[in-house]
Amino acid sequence: MNRQPGADVLVIGSGAAGAALCKRLSEKGAKVICLEQGDWIDRTRLPKAHVDWEVRGRRHWAAKPNVRRWAGDYPVASEGADPVDVYMYNAVGGSQVGFAGNYWRMAPSDFRVRTLDGVAADWPFDYEELAPYYAINEAEVGVAGLAGDPCGPPRPPLPNPPAPIGRPGQLLVNAYEKLGWYWWPTEQSITTADYRGRPACTNMGWCTFGCTQGSLSTADLTYWPGALENGVELRTNARVREIILGQDGRALGARYYDKDGVIREAHAAVTVVACGGLGTPRLLLMSTSATHPNGLANSSGLVGKNLMVHVQSFATGLFDEPVEGWHGTWGGTVSTRQFYETDPARDYVRGFIMSGCVGWSALNLALQIAPWGSGHHKAFDEHINHEISLYLCGEDLPEETNRVELDWTHLDGFGMPGVVTHHELNENSHRLGRDMIAHARQVLEAAGAKSVRDAGLAPIWGWHLLGTARMGDDPQTSVADRFNRAHDVPNLFIADSSSMPTSAGVNPSATIQALALRCADHIWDLRREWSSTG
Amino acid sequence: MAYDRKQGQHQVAQSSRPDYRVEVGHAEVPVGAPRSFIVLDPARAATLTGWTATLIPSGGRRPDAGSVGAAEYIDATVHLVPALRPALLHGIDEVERLALSKTGRAFTECSADEREDVLRQFQAADDTDAFNMVSDFTYEAYYGHPTVLAALEAENGWRGTAPMSPSVITPFDQSQLERVRTLPRRYRAVDAGKGVKA
Repeated sequence: MNRQPGADVLVIGSGAAGAALCKRLSEKGAKVICLEQGDWIDRTRLPKAHVDWEVRGRRHWAAKPNVRRWAGDYPVASEGADPVDVYMYNAVGGSQVGFAGNYWRMAPSDFRVRTLDGVAADWPFDYEELAPYYAINEAEVGVAGLAGDPCGPPRPPLPNPPAPIGRPGQLLVNAYEKLGWYWWPTEQSITTADYRGRPACTNMGWCTFGCTQGSLSTADLTYWPGALENGVELRTNARVREIILGQDGRALGARYYDKDGVIREAHAAVTVVACGGLGTPRLLLMSTSATHPNGLANSSGLVGKNLMVHVQSFATGLFDEPVEGWHGTWGGTVSTRQFYETDPARDYVRGFIMSGCVGWSALNLALQIAPWGSGHHKAFDEHINHEISLYLCGEDLPEETNRVELDWTHLDGFGMPGVVTHHELNENSHRLGRDMIAHARQVLEAAGAKSVRDAGLAPIWGWHLLGTARMGDDPQTSVADRFNRAHDVPNLFIADSSSMPTSAGVNPSATIQALALRCADHIWDLRREWSSTG
Repeated sequence: MAYDRKQGQHQVAQSSRPDYRVEVGHAEVPVGAPRSFIVLDPARAATLTGWTATLIPSGGRRPDAGSVGAAEYIDATVHLVPALRPALLHGIDEVERLALSKTGRAFTECSADEREDVLRQFQAADDTDAFNMVSDFTYEAYYGHPTVLAALEAENGWRGTAPMSPSVITPFDQSQLERVRTLPRRYRAVDAGKGVKA
């Protein structure tokens, strides 16, 4: 066994949360080691660096780990009545390397779901407690947007101006004005002006296929350069097998396989798990011992439970006029939270957002609507550059039956288990989803669409994997406390999407990173409790 | 491979055979690169070329899929993923068998309408996923090809090469928010640890 010198903090996972933790702690003076099971993205292989970018996005860059099968990936099976089509990346920067940049703050009511609506759970703290960390994070990543949205509390100006909305966005503005609804330019994690050494977005579009110039604020470009400059030691290709405990029950660190497959240990006074909604429960459940036979931090039995993925769909409108949908940020032009808060007049609780996108790219569109054979070009030409889409995202309430478990029948390259997800939309989600799609159709028709098609509620897009090690005040009903500290292990923290008690109805990246920054500050505040290591 | 399953029209893997949708992750085949056939013999290569050209025929300035190397692209893909070869070879041979039985001629000697009829018959009866595989790969090879993208831009303004070339869009005009800014607050403020504020 090769043991290596200890650190103050060991962070497992270098994604949205892990990167933020590493930079925040290191700039305060902590000695930090980070273990990442993937590697740095080779930016020369980003799909958008090549003319056949759409094809590369379906193969080497595929968001499904079972298709992509990079060295750091592990098998993911999907079961249940509404199985999740899991999309995630194991790499420096985590799944942000393939995200679109939609970047929302949650609403105050999202932290009080049980109190206000009688379902799910309350968060153990309020919006106001996270708001300062939202602001810090927005400055770190250079969020583009505009303060003043009446659908959220007052807040300071954002670092960068909103992205241009183009013709697709203008059609939606016209629709919202016609309907008299709320709307606002979508906040996006994109530098729309030169910002902290990163260039302004130049509208090359299709952001999820990799931003070659680095205007899309992925964690490998935002937090990691500063973290490395601060001295964080990032060990890539480090596949963590288990968290190891001392005789006193405290976490000693982690045991992992390095890039050569050699077993190693990394020790620290504090260990933080930030492996995402699937990776975190996987690691905790793998970390069994005599004192934790059901997995670490799992005395509640809730590790892996309450998987949430959002109720999602797309609606696409077909227009007579060209929409210039080939450029501009993909993830959002303008959005509405008209139906975000619970309305007693509706037959469900909670709500959803609708976010305007530019439409579908050529290959994607052709596969959707252009039949093979003699009618191919006619069908394709009717749709290409004549469509805009609405991305629809609603709250998926936690259910203990929606879960992640270890899958010992499908192993990764080191003999460690994959995971299997079980998921079924509950009745509230079905009702919300139907209403969400109906209102999206209303918007597109008001925008002048001559026809609208929608994606229904299947497949379940697994972009947002949340809630599988949730935080709360009661150790019986939660895994971690209000500061992300595991109830069962005093120097173990769980700080990523898995810690979210509820999903809200918005893309979670901003909240994940704000939570991580808050957790980092708490760890730093407790530094006098750090024990000797190594 | 049993990691994925079918959901609605979202077809994914079946456990009984390799699924091309899952297997292609490691098959990086740059579209449009010069290449010749590796796996297929000349006769089967000709059939597959005709097959791809029937899936996406020429139209306007756009060439057919066969003439932009879709068959070679498929051949290169199955070269990298040998598990997919049996389905492809079976599919090609079955198309030839159907062509012969329906027309008495080889598939490549059939008219465009006859080819389409043969492929529709094959598609209807195909339980090997070969038709879907060839179709999906043909679409990839076609809509990733620079010649096709250039033709699209010339014909309908769609710039498929936009990700490689910056462009200008008018900045967002904040004056459009005049009405929305005057609307009442639309969120529930919450008293710490309690319910909704009045």
